[in-house]
Amino acid sequence: MPVVNLSLLLPEFLVAALAFAVFAADLFMRPRQRNVLSVVSAVGLVAIGVFTYWFLQGKSESLYNGVLKIDNYSLFFKVFFLAMGVMIVIASASFVKQYLSHPGEYYGILLFSVVGMMLMSGAGELLTAYISLELLSFSLYIMASYARDNPKSNEAGIKYVLLGALSSAILLYGISMIYGATGTTTFSDIAAALRNLDAVNPRLLIGMALVLAGLGFKLAAVPFHMWAPDVYEGAPLPVTAYIAIGSKVAAFALMLRLFGEAFLPAIDQWRMLVAILAALTMSVGNLVALAQTNMKRLLAYSSIAHVGYLLIGIAALSPMASTGLMFYLVGYSATNMLLFAAVIAFYNKEPRDDISALAGLADRSPFLAGAMAAALFSLSGLPFFAGFIVKFYLFSAATHEGLLWLAGLAIFNSLVSLYYYLMIIKQMYINQSPDKTPIRVSGGMAALVIALVIAVFVIGLYPAPFVDVIESATRTIFPATMMASY
Amino acid sequence: MTLLHTELLSAVLFVIGLYGVLARRNAVLVLMSVELMLNAVNINLIGYAAFTDPGRVLGQVLAIFVITVAAAEVGLALAIILRLYRNRGTVNLNEINLMKW
Amino acid sequence: MPQEYAINYGAVVLAAIVGLMAVLFMFLTNYLLAPRRSSAIKGLPFECGVPAAPFTWSQINIRYYIFAILFLVFDVEAVFLFPWVIIYLKSAPIVFYEMLVFLAILLFGLLYGWKKGMLEWQ
Repeated sequence: MPVVNLSLLLPEFLVAALAFAVFAADLFMRPRQRNVLSVVSAVGLVAIGVFTYWFLQGKSESLYNGVLKIDNYSLFFKVFFLAMGVMIVIASASFVKQYLSHPGEYYGILLFSVVGMMLMSGAGELLTAYISLELLSFSLYIMASYARDNPKSNEAGIKYVLLGALSSAILLYGISMIYGATGTTTFSDIAAALRNLDAVNPRLLIGMALVLAGLGFKLAAVPFHMWAPDVYEGAPLPVTAYIAIGSKVAAFALMLRLFGEAFLPAIDQWRMLVAILAALTMSVGNLVALAQTNMKRLLAYSSIAHVGYLLIGIAALSPMASTGLMFYLVGYSATNMLLFAAVIAFYNKEPRDDISALAGLADRSPFLAGAMAAALFSLSGLPFFAGFIVKFYLFSAATHEGLLWLAGLAIFNSLVSLYYYLMIIKQMYINQSPDKTPIRVSGGMAALVIALVIAVFVIGLYPAPFVDVIESATRTIFPATMMASY
Repeated sequence: MTLLHTELLSAVLFVIGLYGVLARRNAVLVLMSVELMLNAVNINLIGYAAFTDPGRVLGQVLAIFVITVAAAEVGLALAIILRLYRNRGTVNLNEINLMKW
Repeated sequence: MPQEYAINYGAVVLAAIVGLMAVLFMFLTNYLLAPRRSSAIKGLPFECGVPAAPFTWSQINIRYYIFAILFLVFDVEAVFLFPWVIIYLKSAPIVFYEMLVFLAILLFGLLYGWKKGMLEWQ
């Protein structure tokens, strides 16, 4: 039994301890006091985030023979997820107070899902990856059905949990096939086994295809996307934001390491498959989004389209594409978080989620309308916003790898998406609403929105520091020989 | 008995489960079909552990974890189904259609 | 090999025959000695001391399911204890405490449910 330096997992332990503390505090608090737990969670996550950055910086180790990896890549995503958790807690605070019961369990489960995401970014073995993925998914199932007495939320929960269970069964079958073909589940050993297999191995191919399908379900890639719109529409709004941002980023953090560290030697056998998946996902997502009238459903299809763009980074897997993919994740999260924060702030005052409810928002709250417009421009990829520069990095990596057609299709799709994003802006700025009452935004939300607007512009105008950090993360998952040509 | 037998058994079980998921309309039966698929995974894992892995340990460990995660999944799904039943009085997936397209 | 098989299976067959005869003997003595009087109540299926439900297809009370879910989760999570029992004496001391942490988490879950009223019958 090798001695394992468990102290390197301190960030995860601390978040889990915070979650237990929130649960325990919830037991002994009076119902009215329980909303304080949002403050406790947010402050705790900020403190743990700072601690993690300080504590894990420059450390590079693999625990339990490669089961969990502590390196720059996982450090980057851990800090990323902790920051995301803070933002979701802030965005949830007044929503939970107004529309949901049991705030203690809400924040506790949210914290557990953050633990799951952090472990996903560090997993170096298939079973660990699967279990941390399930920790995240289980939390999301509960949160999606959190509005207990709202039939739509129940429906979202049941659709999510049944299709999630199906997808994890498919993923697990793929894992068992890979285990059968290679005799191991550790990423580095799988890569070594792949290099030694000279002929095409059907077991391995089925295994990789099923793993891809299972992860495709979790990401809502077409043709595995049918649960996403319903779950997005039925789930409480902050949870929708969390599913749209957190689960996607975490799944890509896992997928990038899995494909980069384990499946890379067999790239010729899956590249076309992933490329077709990406092309389908972005096209279907954008085309169906054109017809939506409900804001949450529109955001669901738009996030499906963005998963399509992100899959380009897997199809064109190289150090350059990996940097592009991680940078896209940063830009996408900041932008989408901004959009959702603005929508939540609006919903807190006026609980309607159809797009026509936004009519005349520019008069009622120029602040929210401006923030939403910035987010929408960024999502469609206009210059000066984060969305442009991240798309530029990702698509140029794809052309570099010879996937010119895919990059061209993605640019065409971005133009299509501009149409429906502009329709929302038209609602806010040109259409008038009979109701002219101004909308007041609470202090926490306003601070979050302002911070995110600044982030979206900073990423768009001065990306160099972000790219530097991301490059050092990329360096840890690719072999040195590939980095030399980068 | 050879590796081929366990692989075939597991593949058949997996496909039966998949058919159940697609064809059944009762949420609880869909859940049972998913469990069938997970059991197919377990048979596969144990088969590979017994016939290809000299240490025979890894596959069995994987199977134990699959069993426990599956149990947690069933518990969670049943709780959500129960909540749905209390609100809607049905667990038929064809009638759960508040949201479409 | 075949003889070994025959001997091993012979023991099984022998045990089966002895068992079968013992059961038959008990049933036979019971049949010969027992008094026989029948009544409507005695004809009912036995259901844990509770009066039997009116129909076979009657619905089971939804409250049973909550207990079933709790039982399922706690029962299955205990499966980790079996491999642990075999190795913990041979392993580093930390393995022992790791399992204690796991059990503490389960216990916390139970206490949490208890305090929240999960175990009350209503």
